[in-house]
Amino acid sequence: MACSGFLLILFLCSHAAGNATLFSSVALFQAYADMLHSHPLIVSMFSKGLLLVFIIHIVTGALLFLQNRRARSQGYKVQRRAVKNSQASATMIYSGLTILLFVLLHTYVVSFGNHKTIGETIVNLFSSFFVSIFYIVSFIGLAIHLSHGFWSMLQTFGINHPRYNSFIQRLSYLMPIFFLLIFGSIPLLFLFGTGQ
Amino acid sequence: MSTKSIDLTLEIWRQKDSKSKGDFEKYSLENISTGMSFLEMLDVLNENLTGRGLDPVAFDHDCREGICGMCGAVINGIAHGPEPETTLCQLHMRHFNDGDILVIEPFRSRAFPIHKDLITDRSALDRIIQAGGYVSVNTGGTPDGNAIPIPSATAESAMDAAACIGCGACVASCPNGAAMLFTGAKISQLSLLPQGQPERKERAMAMVTTMDKEGFGNCTNERECEAVCPKRVSIANIARMNREFVKAALLG
Ligand code: HEM
Ligand code: FES
Repeated sequence: MACSGFLLILFLCSHAAGNATLFSSVALFQAYADMLHSHPLIVSMFSKGLLLVFIIHIVTGALLFLQNRRARSQGYKVQRRAVKNSQASATMIYSGLTILLFVLLHTYVVSFGNHKTIGETIVNLFSSFFVSIFYIVSFIGLAIHLSHGFWSMLQTFGINHPRYNSFIQRLSYLMPIFFLLIFGSIPLLFLFGTGQ
Repeated sequence: MSTKSIDLTLEIWRQKDSKSKGDFEKYSLENISTGMSFLEMLDVLNENLTGRGLDPVAFDHDCREGICGMCGAVINGIAHGPEPETTLCQLHMRHFNDGDILVIEPFRSRAFPIHKDLITDRSALDRIIQAGGYVSVNTGGTPDGNAIPIPSATAESAMDAAACIGCGACVASCPNGAAMLFTGAKISQLSLLPQGQPERKERAMAMVTTMDKEGFGNCTNERECEAVCPKRVSIANIARMNREFVKAALLG
């Protein structure tokens, strides 16, 4: 779970960096995409690897959810949490499924849709208000998932030390917000017609 | 502090034995002194019930001073009640108000079968200890207590882990019914100290394996255990257990 989550975060970093070319221009983004696709072996290796990581993450996540629900087979009449801010950790499976729905639709459109160039597809896609909103809502789901996931991953790896904990805590806020800003501003950019 | 008297409504889980189904029963209690502990309040209820020829509510307790780990119940959804760092026996009625409705449930988890009423069978925790929570000591004369130098910070961390009284509130409160705070504390306490080194790796493997076998869930870092722990045992101990387990599994 934590290992696959870590690899997914690495993927997010590279994907965010690639997409950030859109802040400059669609042409630069197109050039980036063309450059990637001029190395078919690399694209195929990375996309298959990513698919595998996603499957591992989803299968282990689903198993964890089901096993734990069985271990908590006996609930309480009064359900209360002593921890504050437990919403993200209690809903990992649901924020995860939101991301999954998004990923399926997104890959369908950008990888299997019929379009001339990826640059054009993006421009067309975000000219729709509803598509843009759907993207932004999904990115909020991702940010919520990461707000627990990132810290949880470090704790699972055994990284918990008084010297670093306050830094980790700050990073657990900032990192989801960072991804939300990078990914979320792309649909906004086109929605408000400032993308070119 | 001045004491008052309050009236309460209790909804208590009543279950005849481990095979019966069990249900909630409502009781009204009047004139409860706020100077009483929660268990003393239950004593008063039981006196009433016994006087009326009814079966008293069974609950676990022993020291009544917060050190033995026998007591425990879930009060309005929170293990050991609303006061942090407090066992049920040390919880005083001054933390409640006149007219409160208290729902009192036993510590629950798949690995914790219920014996009777509020008494939970927590022997699964004992079996985790049996699997590796020990050190081997050569027989002979008593060794000098200070013969082995231990840095003060290490001794403090070990002592913080050893504060665990094994009450099972961590399991009861965990949304996954996991026993990782308990097991993490026990593994940490021994693996930090020189005396625990010989069995260090077998201990981590054996205790974690037993924990899974007993039917406890998996930790997803919800932090609920740490929040209800009467001894504030930190989840840093779970992180340490994860490190110990990975080291033992990879390096053998
Ligand atoms: C880019 C996408 C994603 C990233 C970056 C990501 C990242 C993470 C991380 C870092 C963790 C913490 C691992 C740990 O605590 O050990 C995690 C946990 C989890 N993820 Fe994801 N994830 C993503 C997509 C998904 C998807 C599509 C699902 C599908 C159902 C999902 C379901 C879960 C579940 C159930 C957990 C475990 C919850 C827990 O530990 O409490 N995730 N994720
Ligand atoms: S009775 Fe001993 S800790 Fe409460």
